[in-house]
Amino acid sequence: MIHQSIETQVIIAATIGGIVILNAAILWFMPRLTRPDLYFAVTVPPGFPDEPEGKLILGRYRRELLLGSVLVLIVFVVGIILLGIRVAPAGSMIQAVAGFIVFYRARTRVLPHAVQPTMIREAELHPYNRIIPGGWIAASGPFVLSAFCAAYVWIHGSSPARGLIVYFLSVTVSLAGLTLLLYGLAHWVRPMYSGGPERAREMQFRRTVATVILGAEYYITIQASWLVLTPRHQGLISLGLLPLALIFALVVVIALARLGQGGSRLATPQRSSTASSVPVGDRTPDRYWKLGVFYFNPDDSAIVVEKRFGLGYSLNFARPTTWFIMALLLLAPLVPILAHLTQFLAKRGA
Amino acid sequence: MLRIDLASRVPVYEQIANGLRAELVSGKFSPGEKLPTVRTLAINLGVHHNTVAEAYRQLANEGWLELKRHHGAIVRERDQPEAGPDTMERFTRPLRELVAKGLADGLSPSSLAREMIETARGLEGRTSP
Repeated sequence: MIHQSIETQVIIAATIGGIVILNAAILWFMPRLTRPDLYFAVTVPPGFPDEPEGKLILGRYRRELLLGSVLVLIVFVVGIILLGIRVAPAGSMIQAVAGFIVFYRARTRVLPHAVQPTMIREAELHPYNRIIPGGWIAASGPFVLSAFCAAYVWIHGSSPARGLIVYFLSVTVSLAGLTLLLYGLAHWVRPMYSGGPERAREMQFRRTVATVILGAEYYITIQASWLVLTPRHQGLISLGLLPLALIFALVVVIALARLGQGGSRLATPQRSSTASSVPVGDRTPDRYWKLGVFYFNPDDSAIVVEKRFGLGYSLNFARPTTWFIMALLLLAPLVPILAHLTQFLAKRGA
Repeated sequence: MLRIDLASRVPVYEQIANGLRAELVSGKFSPGEKLPTVRTLAINLGVHHNTVAEAYRQLANEGWLELKRHHGAIVRERDQPEAGPDTMERFTRPLRELVAKGLADGLSPSSLAREMIETARGLEGRTSP
């Protein structure tokens, strides 16, 4: 077992505690950051969130969220005192479960107010600009950087060859997953509006999300390269990068919250394409949202769809491509574990 | 702009074919121009790609499109077909039903006639010799 200094333990506990508080803050504001005719992942009449019933549901959700987060923090602190710092990562997981339960309870209260969204669909037939910032030159940057770093370390032999291969394989797989997401955002997601100011706002939001994904790719590459190039200071650098990652996450959340889901926070009440009394929602029927968070619609060719609760995008789990992306993103952290396991088994066999 | 209604009784592939045909007849696409790929249009409309593919096939059979693998749907130069004896009959039946629906919903015969003339004139560009 690895023993860490008191300072290290305090940094780890403070970072995970910070994540728990940040998550609670995000969940607190989230219901007001989705499209106005979606409330707790249910299509509702426009204006429902501002009606007394809508406010009542939100108030109860926030009270339960506050109570749940305080309980999680207490369990987190008591767990560290009694069992040590190794249980700290469980804090954010417990909070995710508690947050989901609170959200699900609120969703159940909104369901009786659900209405049918508009079934009108529009599509622009002429080609339009894709939204990958900097185009494919910028998107290929992390791969090039990663390859250069691998080549440098390989030539100078400052790291064991096997470890190096595993490390860069893991980075490349996660980069491939994120690049697929980036491509998906440009090609596999449906615009909610095919024209007008709503479309312009939506495209601005998408460009921001694409920039965030690209930023994450560069962050992963630079961090991985840094760690490989300076192996002696790995522990110190990892700890130093944790707050950096938190700051990055905070900036992203603020930027996305400001623009809203498809710019819906800035949208005017006038809709361009459909009757104003009919909710547009996110152009997906409620019945395809399992538990309100997982989209499963085999009749929808879109692979990437807007999240119903929260900001950003989700995947259509009825499409095989989704599972391929998921496999890539899950495989990345598993590569080093599998490599160590095969090495261990080979040693035992010998 | 293509618009469909998923709640309509008219099959979705037919709505797509009708909408695209209207765009093609009005001359918004020149011969040689590309239509969106089946996948792109299916994603934008929120339907299965087979539905869009069926609409494209229908238009290809009518001579409007040329479907090329990996190149998508390309608009063809189409000769104006000779109207056969049953062409008017095929056209009149749905028109009568549509006019009846308009009258039942309170529209006047003159406003319906005016609308039809304006629509036909709007679409005339591509089909007139």
